[in-house]
Amino acid sequence: MKVLAAGVVPLLLVLHWKHGAGSPLPITPVNATCVTRHPCHSNLMNQIKNQLVQLNSSANALFILYYTAQGEPFPNNLDKLCSPNVTDFPPFHANGTEKARLVELYRIIAYLGASLGNITRDQKILNPNALSLHSKLNATADIMRGLLSNVLCRLCSKYHVGHVEVAYGPDTSGKDVFQKKKLGCQLLGKYKQVIAVLAQAF
Amino acid sequence: MVDISLCLRQPSCMVDSKRMRITSNFRWLLPAFFLLHLMNQVNSQKKGAPPDLKCITNNLQVWDCSWKAPSGAGRGSVYEVCIENRSHSCYQLGKTNTKIPTLLPGDHEITINPLHDFGSSISKFILNEKNVSFIPDTPEILNLSADFPTSTLHLTWNDKGSVFLHQSNVIWEIKILRKENVEVIKLLTYNTTLNGKDTVHRWSWTSDMPLECTTHYVGIRCYIDDSHFSGRKEWSDWSPLKNISWSFDPDYQGNVFPQDKVILVGSAITVCCVTQEKVLSAQIGNTQCPLIHLDGENVAIKIYNISVSASSGTNVVFATKESMLGTVIFAGYPPDIPQKLNCETYDLKEIICTWDPGRPTALVGPRNTIYTLFESFSGKYVRFKRVEVSTNESYQLFFPMFPNQEIYNFTLNARNPLGQSESTILVNITEKVYPHTPTSIKVKDINSTAVILSWHLPGNFANIKLLCQIEINKTNSVREVRNVTIKGVGNSNYPVAVDKLNPYTMYSFRIRCSSETFWKWSKWSNGKQYLTTEASPSKGPDTWREWSSDGKNLIIYWKPLPINEANGKILFYNVSCSSDEKTQSLSEIPDPQHKAEIQLDKNDYIISVVAKNSVGSSPPSKIASMEIPNDDLKIEQAVGMGNGILLTWNYDPNMTCDYVIKWCNSSQSKPCLMDWKKVPSNSTQTVIESDQFRPGVRYSIFLYGCRNQGYQLLRSVIGYIEELAPIVAPDFTVEDTSADSILVKWEDIPVEELRGFLRGYLFYFEKGERDTSKMRGLESGRSDVKIKNITDISQKTLRIADLQGKTSYHLVLRAYTNGGMGPEKSMFVVTKENSVGLIIAILIPVAVAVVVGVVTSILCYRKREWIKETFYPDIPNPENCKALQFQKSVCEGNSALKTLEMNPCTPNTVEVLETRTTVPKIEDTEIISPVAERPEDRCDAEPENHVVVSYCPPVIEEEIPNPGADDTAGTSQVIYIDIQSMYQPQAKPEEEQEPDTVGGAGYKPQMHLPVTSTVEDAAAEDDLDKTAGYRPQANVNTWNLVSPDSPRSTDSNSEIVSFGSPCSINSRQFLIPPKDEDSPKSNGGGWSFTNFFQNKPND
Repeated sequence: MKVLAAGVVPLLLVLHWKHGAGSPLPITPVNATCVTRHPCHSNLMNQIKNQLVQLNSSANALFILYYTAQGEPFPNNLDKLCSPNVTDFPPFHANGTEKARLVELYRIIAYLGASLGNITRDQKILNPNALSLHSKLNATADIMRGLLSNVLCRLCSKYHVGHVEVAYGPDTSGKDVFQKKKLGCQLLGKYKQVIAVLAQAF
Repeated sequence: MVDISLCLRQPSCMVDSKRMRITSNFRWLLPAFFLLHLMNQVNSQKKGAPPDLKCITNNLQVWDCSWKAPSGAGRGSVYEVCIENRSHSCYQLGKTNTKIPTLLPGDHEITINPLHDFGSSISKFILNEKNVSFIPDTPEILNLSADFPTSTLHLTWNDKGSVFLHQSNVIWEIKILRKENVEVIKLLTYNTTLNGKDTVHRWSWTSDMPLECTTHYVGIRCYIDDSHFSGRKEWSDWSPLKNISWSFDPDYQGNVFPQDKVILVGSAITVCCVTQEKVLSAQIGNTQCPLIHLDGENVAIKIYNISVSASSGTNVVFATKESMLGTVIFAGYPPDIPQKLNCETYDLKEIICTWDPGRPTALVGPRNTIYTLFESFSGKYVRFKRVEVSTNESYQLFFPMFPNQEIYNFTLNARNPLGQSESTILVNITEKVYPHTPTSIKVKDINSTAVILSWHLPGNFANIKLLCQIEINKTNSVREVRNVTIKGVGNSNYPVAVDKLNPYTMYSFRIRCSSETFWKWSKWSNGKQYLTTEASPSKGPDTWREWSSDGKNLIIYWKPLPINEANGKILFYNVSCSSDEKTQSLSEIPDPQHKAEIQLDKNDYIISVVAKNSVGSSPPSKIASMEIPNDDLKIEQAVGMGNGILLTWNYDPNMTCDYVIKWCNSSQSKPCLMDWKKVPSNSTQTVIESDQFRPGVRYSIFLYGCRNQGYQLLRSVIGYIEELAPIVAPDFTVEDTSADSILVKWEDIPVEELRGFLRGYLFYFEKGERDTSKMRGLESGRSDVKIKNITDISQKTLRIADLQGKTSYHLVLRAYTNGGMGPEKSMFVVTKENSVGLIIAILIPVAVAVVVGVVTSILCYRKREWIKETFYPDIPNPENCKALQFQKSVCEGNSALKTLEMNPCTPNTVEVLETRTTVPKIEDTEIISPVAERPEDRCDAEPENHVVVSYCPPVIEEEIPNPGADDTAGTSQVIYIDIQSMYQPQAKPEEEQEPDTVGGAGYKPQMHLPVTSTVEDAAAEDDLDKTAGYRPQANVNTWNLVSPDSPRSTDSNSEIVSFGSPCSINSRQFLIPPKDEDSPKSNGGGWSFTNFFQNKPND
């Protein structure tokens, strides 16, 4: 057994290594049954819409708060430092079916949620006194968690979808400070852009 | 000779030459040696001997000697080399160099003989170590590595010291080159020692430019300073260059270095951008920086004197066409020396050390200062590190205490990427006890005056004593603090007895503690309220008695015991009255009641009052019932000072027990009692104070002296705590009025409304009507106001004399006390008129009227004719007037004509022919009446609105005896106007002929226009026909008798100005005078005879 543990496990880890390793695991196993812990709210789609509207209304303020806290020259060079060029960002097709749109929404929110976690962690170290930024990041993350739960509930209850493959953004923990700042700014710029589309699509 | 020649070429030989100079015996040999040397050289050249023998060594063990082949010597020449050492040896060589083991110090002859070369000669050399050069082997770099984050190069090489037998100092010279064109940027030396064995040396160097920016090259050489070698020492050759470079990651667009660098504020730093794109600009924050071009597209900037960074660092960015690359620099300070380092303990279990970090480092997160608290005796340490640090964080570290260790030597080390600092403190921890706040305060009774107070104090204080303070708070009392020293215990519960308390008293206890070797007090604990238990009342109640108004009952009063004497809740009182004969008792009078009434006879009784609570009874409080009469008693006045009224009396030795002062509101019914006060018998004064005293209220105060038999009233005083002004005015009336005086009488003001001792009245009077002087101030010093100050308060009347008759006077009366003036009451009185003056005033007008009447009568009588002609001329007889023969055809031409038109009807001319006048003259009728004038004027102005009376004047022939008339104008016009007809235009033309049909004699109106067809008119005409006498020109009933003063008549242009009565145009006089009641009345008067006398001016 020791040999197995010493040899097979690292092998499996190496075989499954890919970009984004160390990121959160998929939400549910592939063969998991679609069971919700609590009955879904009857007005679920309205809640999802309201959450998207709420996120959309605060996205720009969060973006401004973020790039202001990073110092010069971020506020004056948003096009080069905070352009929403985020690789591997999940796509969204507004003209798809509701099920397809919900699945894509789930992927996007999962991606954004993980990235917001990275940003929050980095900013607490980098800007420990920027309490308003921390507060807004936490509030946004909270809403996203609720939104994710609602979307999953909807997918499960109406479309019997219990598992959605998700991808996450790059982990910034090993990057230098400037890269952390820049990636965070780009992510929030992308978030501001995409949440407006999502809020309109639902 | 050879030796000499060598010495000349070798500087080292100079030492030897000096040595030789010392041996003065050989001075004469020098020129000889020199000559021999020259000859030897000449011979050698001549013989084709090898020139120049050079020897070097690189290890001091073998000399490598070489010479040049002689001219003419071909390849394959063989040389015989002989070294004359201690043992002569020769060997043959087929080359021009040879390795000779290191020779012993001293000269050695070397002979080189080219063999098989008959043309060459033998060369001899004198070889000495001094002629050998020591050139170390070229060093070799074993490894060159780089630590890129710190921009440090690490170099390793081997000194090959095993080759050298002796210990020698070695100087290593290292050169650092940069960029592709290999510019030397640094030349550094490094000293080591050869110790006989191979040693690998490591050397590090930190670059001011990040190593990633460009390729760095390193070379090394050495110089061995062997003290045993006397020859020439030289630097070795440079080692081959080794380089280090950063491998560019093609996944990245570019990188900026250094990354996340922490530097000192004010220092300089080089930042470079390694990229394959062209960098357009670089900036730190918002400040542009000039670019320094490196290899390829790589650029760098140099930042000088960098300022302190924000918590998120200072951004340095390089802009390319499409992107921006950057890095973050954290400029801050090394940690300041920790200040105010203090270590103390709350519980002798753990030590808490606090400090002030001093100047902020401006570095947060992972770059924040790490504090390490190290204790030297125990060798233990604790560390303080916060990644997410808030601004207001307190800097403290907890260090566990060790058993049996009281002395601690702490060193607090502060360290961050820029440096470190430290601070130390040596403490005896038992002297630095700052206990926690005591908790769980509990109180337990011992008795009514003592309790056990206990509290909980966490901590291991078994080895020390605690000093605690107990704060005792009592309602309405000063705070008391008691110190107690108690031995510390391990279970942390501390009971302490607290005595000297009052029974049945609410206390609040608080505790704080420190060690006996005082350092700091703990915080005060929360207060603990506790009510001590009851005890028997310590004193009997303060008692007084009063006889009822009928003198049959004795009312006993007592005051409730103060809480410090009641010692509990008083439940009831027992009252007993005892005399020599009998005893009466009243038991268990409940507490709220503080009065009892007992029917007693006139015997002397001793009244006893006892208060009881749940524990026991108070001592009895006794008072005698008898009251000793005092005939010599006067009522005095007193006024308070401040909050009380001072009462003084003379010392009376007969008074054996306390004086009693009682007081009550004067308005209370008898027996009145508000309160009383007992004063020791030796006192002669007291101040009576009471919360019930109110300003402006009169109180009666009685001073009783106490003798054995009873109480005697000594003084009776009425007084005020403060006098106020009266709130009402005295009620006064006028008793009598004459032509020159008024008698006024007033009533007393009630005591309740007087509010002070009455000091007098002020009486004001002045002439004045009710409306004029009502609001005028009487106290403003006006001269017309007369004031009388009545200080005799018993006076209740006042006569005001020297007044004017029939004059209105304004009287005001007000009372005053020392507290001020009261309100005023005023009255208006008119004095009676003077009768003589009245009579005169009646008689004089009557006499004047009589005189005027008589004179008027006389004048009228004498001028009666003129009056008659003027006012009553004779009326001509209409029968004699021919003008009444109207021409009927004049107005009958148009049957439709209903109104009389003045225009355009041209007045007919009347031609009166007199016999004496032959020339007839026609004159236009002149209407001089204003009535006749108006139609022309008004016709133009209002032709459509105005009802125009079409007037066709009759032609009247009349003889007018007008002497003033022109002779040629013998005729005159007489026009009669029926004025009423002007307002009756509805007259029907058919009826106009009726008057003509009426024949009759006598007077006929000059014009009769039947303007109405009413029955009354017809009847009137019938009557008129019958009477045949004088008839008015119109119906009198239709006359509009309007007075000139009436509104309609006031208009001078009105058509009805003179319609009041029919009139003759010529005379313009009213034929019938208007009635008296319609006559104009004068409105300018309001005058009456009475007013004539009453409206006398005020003089």
